[in-house]
Amino acid sequence: MVAISRGLTRTVLWIFLLATAGLMLFPIVVAILGSFKTNLEVTTGATLLPEVWQFGNYAHAWKQANFARFTWNSIYVSVFTTVGTLLITAMAAYAVDRVNFRGKRIYIVLQSFTLFISIGAVVLRPQFDLMVQLGLQKTLWGVIIILISAHAQIFFMMIGFFKGIPRELDEAALIDGCNFYSIFWRIILPLLRPALAVTALFTFRGAWNEYILPLVFSMTNPDLQTLPVGLANLRYGFGAASENQYMLAGACISILPLLVVYVFANRSFMQVNVGAVKG
Amino acid sequence: MKRKQLHAYVFTFPSLFLTLVLGIYPIFWALRYMFFAYPGYGTPQFVGLDNFFRVARDAQFWQSVQNTFVYAAGKLVLTIPLSLILAVILNRALRGRHLLRAVYFLPTIFSASVMSIVFYIVFNSYNGILNQYLMKLGLASSPIDWLGAGNAMLTVIIIAVWGAVGNYMLLFLAGLQSIPDDVYEAASLDGVNPLQRLWHITIPMLGPVLQMVIMLAITVSLKGYESIMVLTEGGPFGKTEVMYLYLYKLFFPLTSEGSSVQNIGYGSAVGFTTALIVGLVTMIYFWISRKLNETY
Repeated sequence: MVAISRGLTRTVLWIFLLATAGLMLFPIVVAILGSFKTNLEVTTGATLLPEVWQFGNYAHAWKQANFARFTWNSIYVSVFTTVGTLLITAMAAYAVDRVNFRGKRIYIVLQSFTLFISIGAVVLRPQFDLMVQLGLQKTLWGVIIILISAHAQIFFMMIGFFKGIPRELDEAALIDGCNFYSIFWRIILPLLRPALAVTALFTFRGAWNEYILPLVFSMTNPDLQTLPVGLANLRYGFGAASENQYMLAGACISILPLLVVYVFANRSFMQVNVGAVKG
Repeated sequence: MKRKQLHAYVFTFPSLFLTLVLGIYPIFWALRYMFFAYPGYGTPQFVGLDNFFRVARDAQFWQSVQNTFVYAAGKLVLTIPLSLILAVILNRALRGRHLLRAVYFLPTIFSASVMSIVFYIVFNSYNGILNQYLMKLGLASSPIDWLGAGNAMLTVIIIAVWGAVGNYMLLFLAGLQSIPDDVYEAASLDGVNPLQRLWHITIPMLGPVLQMVIMLAITVSLKGYESIMVLTEGGPFGKTEVMYLYLYKLFFPLTSEGSSVQNIGYGSAVGFTTALIVGLVTMIYFWISRKLNETY
């Protein structure tokens, strides 16, 4: 009797787990398979696999729907945002963790303040106006600089990493003739490489997925559209209702790179997620 | 020693500069303009507290606040139990648990706006993929109007839950791993069944983690609007209009909707009010949930 009820519990448990997994994967599978279908199949098919694989959808999205441009913009923004954020936060975290300088407390309070206060879209307007004054609203650098400026979360992650490196190492290096800068570049950064890689992944993903900021910057300058913006704008495009297959192909251009990295490095994705909250 | 201090300033300067100019200055900018009538052009006129009187009377805004609470409550009520149950199950030595964790976490890595486009095609009322399947399987006789006035909020909540469960599951898993095994061993000697174990041991032991995770979930759901903006733009008839989306439209009116007009002075006042509401909710939550933080 106990064995039967235990077996039953197991079965129910697995049905629950697999059904949940199915629901989680459903939209992603639908997007990937749909991107190879004809529009008619997407809108009326109700079949999982495409009848004939329409690889041409990607060519169309890439050329006619301008996804080549969006992809390039997304890569550009994400790469420079990642490099900039990592550099700035690593430097700040090194100083904050290793030196007791005057005003350090205030600096930390300032960082946590920006992390918790959110007045939403209000800040976009003064940020945009500043970029106009610097003449950066017509390039992607306006977007990149604003994305880099929102680095409080990454900063606190970095602090955690620096705390993990013993100070005795600095002292030993100091005796060996290193100075403040060379300890940072030659000793600490190389030791932090695995942590930096994970942080880079996190930052890159954030920039790659960012929607609102590039949307605001590309309103008057469509050349600045990134993948999420260009894709969302397809809804208003030429007969959007009849272009589902291209929208799905476009969505896949955005999600497939992340998916491929995720297959190989999903533990890193998950690790940083927990770390980011712990601060 | 002095020299080292100087080095430290050099190293913190880029971060400090960007934070002050692009993080702090915009807040003061808003604190100033919320006392002005300023539609975005011309000379700003000082109007004292007029913008706030208008906020108090703005039925559309308070409707969006109400919608936000419905949205956040719906998302929380579904996400927290589901992710906690998944975490509890996957915390055990189960075959395939690493794969399952990776699958449940997968939705969280994608752009909310990009996935909203996919969901737009999935939930489309007339030729959406979900309706095709439901009708083919005989679960619906006619297309369900997922994005219509009656269901749009539910649809938006389902999508939000889809994107959030994996994240909270992972945070709970991290919390569960800090509960020592011998507590469970002692309980199993006493003949405790799995449900009792969950209710009387796991949840109380998880108290502080639970408190933090729920607080995170509350603030995130109150602030979220990106996915709704792409999917419904707050429609139909403002049924899914949440407060941060309403705020966004005051600064950057959406192209397909003629009703919203740019208004920077008033928008700043609305922004201040929304931030205040989020802060207030967080404080009330902390007061109510203080029992969770008692250490066992």
